[in-house]
Amino acid sequence: MSVKKKFKGLSDKAVGWLFIGPTVLLLLAINIYPLIYAIKMSFTNFYANKIGRVPEFVGLKNYIKILNKEAIWEKMQVTASFMFWTLLLQAAIGLGLALLLNRKFKGNELLTTLIVLPMMLSPAVVGVFWTYLYNPQVGLFNYVVNFFYDFGSFDMIGSSMLAPWSIVIVDTWMWTPFTMLICLAGLRSVPNYLYEAAEVDRASKWQQFIYITLPSVLPFLLLALLFRGIENFKMFDMVVELTSGGPGSATELASINLKREAFEKWKTGYSSAFAVILFVTIFGFGNVYVKVMNKIKER
Amino acid sequence: MKKIMILLFVSLFSFSVNSNAKSITLGWAAWDPANALQELTKEFTAETGIEVNFEFVPWPNFADRMLNELNNKGKTFDLLIGDSQWIGSGAVYGHYVKLNDFFDKEGISMGDFSPATVHAYSTWPKGSKNYYALPAMGDALAWAYRKDWFDRPELKSEFKKKHGYDLGVPASWNQLHDMCSFFQGREIDGQKRYGAAINTERGSEGITMGVTAAMYAWGMEYENPNKPYDMEGFFNSPQAVEAVEFYRKLYEDCAPPGHSDAYMVANLDAYKSGQVAFQMNWYAFWPGVSKEDKDGRVSGFFANPKQNVAAATLGGQGISVVKYSDKQDLALEYIKWFARPDVQQKWWDLGGYSCHNDVLDSPSFPTSTVYAQGFLDSMGIVKDFWQEPTFVELMLPMQEAIHDYVVNGKGTAKGALDKIIEEWVEVFEADGKL
Repeated sequence: MSVKKKFKGLSDKAVGWLFIGPTVLLLLAINIYPLIYAIKMSFTNFYANKIGRVPEFVGLKNYIKILNKEAIWEKMQVTASFMFWTLLLQAAIGLGLALLLNRKFKGNELLTTLIVLPMMLSPAVVGVFWTYLYNPQVGLFNYVVNFFYDFGSFDMIGSSMLAPWSIVIVDTWMWTPFTMLICLAGLRSVPNYLYEAAEVDRASKWQQFIYITLPSVLPFLLLALLFRGIENFKMFDMVVELTSGGPGSATELASINLKREAFEKWKTGYSSAFAVILFVTIFGFGNVYVKVMNKIKER
Repeated sequence: MKKIMILLFVSLFSFSVNSNAKSITLGWAAWDPANALQELTKEFTAETGIEVNFEFVPWPNFADRMLNELNNKGKTFDLLIGDSQWIGSGAVYGHYVKLNDFFDKEGISMGDFSPATVHAYSTWPKGSKNYYALPAMGDALAWAYRKDWFDRPELKSEFKKKHGYDLGVPASWNQLHDMCSFFQGREIDGQKRYGAAINTERGSEGITMGVTAAMYAWGMEYENPNKPYDMEGFFNSPQAVEAVEFYRKLYEDCAPPGHSDAYMVANLDAYKSGQVAFQMNWYAFWPGVSKEDKDGRVSGFFANPKQNVAAATLGGQGISVVKYSDKQDLALEYIKWFARPDVQQKWWDLGGYSCHNDVLDSPSFPTSTVYAQGFLDSMGIVKDFWQEPTFVELMLPMQEAIHDYVVNGKGTAKGALDKIIEEWVEVFEADGKL
């Protein structure tokens, strides 16, 4: 039986729904329903481990408690600082590397492959082996740093001053290649005639970079940063393996705290409220960011 | 074709035989005693024909994995060797089978087991006669030290000259600090050595188990003995504050560099690699340390030192039958076998820590290993963390606040303990206890 015959009698719209129906159902089941359920739970004092205890409606109590809790704001600050520095470094180094690799030179392909390797590793594995690299006694990182300037013995993971940098460095090491690849795609899409025209107009290399390269690559860079921003907002595995959120709570990101509240303390209602707050935060920022990005693209 | 059919038939038949075989699954942490239990259990299988499958989970994920399984009413495990602190939630939330009737029927008496272990691993509410586990693995936090370094005449005389007493097993935490700091940064056999590998782990329970070893020795109580859950002035008493300050001093003066998130295996590694003179760890690890030191020349062991009082942090576990298991009868059969005195003796011989009085009271027990006397001493003075159903909620704030003070150097000891009480009050209020 031909496809035409099989769908005979169905409108185009109906056929369309037939195709996207399963996906929509799946999305409803695994994304929308849990979201609505979590929102509902966030207004209760539900504990998933307290079997037989009926959850009570508590109104906005969980939200008020979270927003008034100093410790939560500390976690949000740690997350914001982590995001700011990782995105800044990944943008700067990623763009720099893309500019470097956009030139033709011997060994370009090999260098690209080597640079891209870290992002192919599992974040948990990266977290574990960086604990060894940061070891003050035998760690390669400390050795290299001391090779350039003798700081003496220092503990990247055990010091509250250095630990936030330890996670920033690892994330930057791992994910700069991602920013680089997207920027490289942007650079390769810039038509050559623009540079040729600029040469004719006797524009300097700096002017070419400011007026041609940067505007062309900026939408790509912003897109890469959007992806990285969303990922780093929910960063969990690498940091847990590397610092467990410590020392104290110096590197306890919002996602780590959420996991502890939800699946160690089993405060389901409370953690649902926290998850909703985080969702609204990232959704809000994401929307504003996309609007700004579109405006830049339109320019 | 005929051959293929025969092969197919044989394989189908063997699958059906296999699937009919009686088997149970036991869950525990992945460590040396678990291997010893696996070895011991071969005799159970030989006697009863019941296969026992083991699932051992690494310590950092042990609580998460097992408690998730119980909370989800999972059927993966028929038997669980769970931490002492889980007994409250196991009983209250109905995860564990109550064993009183079974014990009565099979003539298993809790009087045959060490009272401290029965109290800690089996009963809920505490002090009652409701049993939810059979004491399986006695344990407490203790210390190992480099006896070979301590025996060196030049170090002995230098230490005595400096401190006015002999280098040896420390009689108090102050002496422990003297000895640890004596070795800190010292070069021995051409290598730089450090004082002590102590618990500093942030993620699960490490630093809490470590700092409480000091707090108990200073005489800390969690609550007012006459008014349950009244913690003010007890958990943050001047003695408790002093103990926490001392633990930080021990960390700052004596821990090897980078020992800021360390627990069992990290302490063991630091000791085995010759970095440190002392390690804090559970008795469960001593058979392994001792095995590598056949003539007993390298390592010595001692119970947690006294400060104001003699006390030690309790470890160890009881074995429970999971309520959601479909094979409770087979699981109970295992417990019946495991409770037998002859099996308990073999358990100790293989490196497990039996809690059975027949084993512990045997005249040969104190000299059976170099750490046996220490184990006996410790089990008489053990104290445990809250065993409340909400123990994880109680543990996490303590981990954070103590790590923040000891490792991070933030705030004061009193401030850390006050903060913990604040969080605990909130937990007890939510649980209807306050």
